[in-house]
Amino acid sequence: MANERDSMSPTMIGLGVLWPTCWTGLPIKLAFAVLAFALGWLELEGRIGLAFLMLLGSPFTIFGVPLIAVGLEGHFGEGIGLPLLFLLAIPIDIWAFGIVARTYFLERFRKEPPEGLGFKLWWKSAVVGAFFLPALWFVVSLVTEVAVSTSHSLSQMESLRLVFNTGLPIAERIGLEVTIWGTVSFMVLAVLLTVGISWIGRIIRDIANVAPPLSDNYQALITRWDLMRVPSDQAMFMTAITGTGVVLALLFWAVLPVTTPHPHECCAQEQVKAEPPFKPIDVLSQNEEEIAKLEALVLAVEQSKEPGKTATENGKGKGGGKVKSQKTEGSPAVTE
Amino acid sequence: MQQPTVSNEPSTTIEKIVDFLDARVGLKEIQAKMLNEPIPGGSRWAYVFGSILLFIFGMQALTGILLMFYYVPTADHAYASTQYIIHDVDYGWFLLGYHFWGSSAMVVCVIAHMSQVFLWGAYKPPRELLWLVGLALFGIVIGFGFTGYLLPWDQRAYWATTVGVEMVDKVPLFGDFLARFLKGGPTPGQMTLSRFFVIHVMILPAALMALAGLHLFLFRVAAPAGPFQGTPEEIKAKTDYFFPRQIWKDMVGMAAVFLTICGLAFWEPVVLLEEATPDPGEYHPEPEWYFLFYFQLLRLKMFAGEFGQFMGAVALPVLFMALLVALPFFDKDPERNIFKRPVALISWIFIMAVIAIFTVSSVINREFLD
Repeated sequence: MANERDSMSPTMIGLGVLWPTCWTGLPIKLAFAVLAFALGWLELEGRIGLAFLMLLGSPFTIFGVPLIAVGLEGHFGEGIGLPLLFLLAIPIDIWAFGIVARTYFLERFRKEPPEGLGFKLWWKSAVVGAFFLPALWFVVSLVTEVAVSTSHSLSQMESLRLVFNTGLPIAERIGLEVTIWGTVSFMVLAVLLTVGISWIGRIIRDIANVAPPLSDNYQALITRWDLMRVPSDQAMFMTAITGTGVVLALLFWAVLPVTTPHPHECCAQEQVKAEPPFKPIDVLSQNEEEIAKLEALVLAVEQSKEPGKTATENGKGKGGGKVKSQKTEGSPAVTE
Repeated sequence: MQQPTVSNEPSTTIEKIVDFLDARVGLKEIQAKMLNEPIPGGSRWAYVFGSILLFIFGMQALTGILLMFYYVPTADHAYASTQYIIHDVDYGWFLLGYHFWGSSAMVVCVIAHMSQVFLWGAYKPPRELLWLVGLALFGIVIGFGFTGYLLPWDQRAYWATTVGVEMVDKVPLFGDFLARFLKGGPTPGQMTLSRFFVIHVMILPAALMALAGLHLFLFRVAAPAGPFQGTPEEIKAKTDYFFPRQIWKDMVGMAAVFLTICGLAFWEPVVLLEEATPDPGEYHPEPEWYFLFYFQLLRLKMFAGEFGQFMGAVALPVLFMALLVALPFFDKDPERNIFKRPVALISWIFIMAVIAIFTVSSVINREFLD
């Protein structure tokens, strides 16, 4: 058993710690990601799979992602939410690294986990990722590009016309091309990932080499790492979890858009201008003011026409003047 | 010195209610049976998929009921009512998005669950019946996806269903009857929509609930298989009860899936195409993403022509399902470690690679057609 532990490969060690670490922190990071989505702080366009993988692997990709985004123009998404999310991932990943690595030290190495193991592993892993991830990105992109063009040329080779009268059919050609470049890219990616994981594994093994061994039997070790994961005050833990859940849920419903943030062309809603509220008292007083003004105006007009009126009466006779004056008062019946 | 007496009398109202129910239905015994299930080798994240599937189904039922308050299953109003849900109902866009992506999550989790059972060798005796009921549940989940796809009644829905029903038509003996029954006429119309709606909201949920209950019962009878490697000493040392650790893992898994579905609903909300018409116009019919690999497979020259179509649309899936059904009966080797079952491991990798390659090919083919 001891020999088996000593002969564990760095890749196995790296995978044994990194894999659970990535998944341990994910649910918490996802909660913040959904909030960022609801607030409209995050736009991922067509690269949600890649963004998800980067967030999942944030213990390793935390420094590598900005370097890829700036140096290699790798685009993961838009919005302030993305850098915020990666910042929030730092304490989550340190915690996740700590709990997973301590368990691994007890169960697999049978060694006492040193103090501050989570932080130590996090910064070392993040620095490795800062060098390794951009290199991996560059190499895999380059290999994929070359493989795609090569497979495209291969599938259009003249010799294939001997097999198929009109060349390779479309679906077969696409399938063949994807198989060729997909296999090449996947192999390169797998080899490079193994190298990166093995690098982390070596770091973990170096820390384990200087850690003091444990003399407890297996059952005692299991009990220890098992209890390590159970909080001492369970009631407090459940209360804190429930409280956080309730706060996050309320926050989510508060910021969730009521109507679709992506309206369809067919269903654009009419922009109806809201009418001002109807206040009867104000309207009545306004009308009264208006009437008073008009009354004054009519009076002023009548007074200004007084000398002319006399002249008309003298020149045209009484009837015409009476009709005009009655019309002004708005009584058409009188004219008939 | 007088010793304090310990009373067994219930003190709080909740305790009284629990005691009342326990006296009548044996609540504490049920609780003990449900929670004190020993898990050989202890709780694991790999075991969460069954519980997650139940959770997703519950959420699909809830969001489906809420959508039904507004959805009108008639050819005249299905499209308009779906647009109304998306654009006018408060939070309707999110509910529909959640329901839509929830169905994808269900398919992914079913495949993950089946893969876990296959790789762990958990289908082997005495768990054959558990495997068979699981396969039936897989069929029901696929049925949910197929019938639900038509309901928005846009071009995508109409033509995906048309292609799907044509494939059913190629089944020998009863294919013609089945296709006519599903369509309810020469072309998809009101009868098709009504039938798909009834199958989607009545028949399949009832079948799923019944079979999920049977699946759980068989699981409890056969007991969990446990890990496929490790010494008996290690497995015994780690053995634990279902409560609390496995339940905690299940809950975290459910939360992660819930948040992922919410994220997807935000990222890609449901947007309908034009209303369904018998003329496809510029639209190239395409099924839901999880059927894309199969759709691309059927585009291969070898599956052209009457015989080829029969082979691709009927013989291949029937043969594959028959193989899965027969699996626990011809694989009688008690070895469960996947690393000592090379045929099983290679077969699984091959199937996953085919799904991945043909799904990507289908996306490239779509760009080629456009």
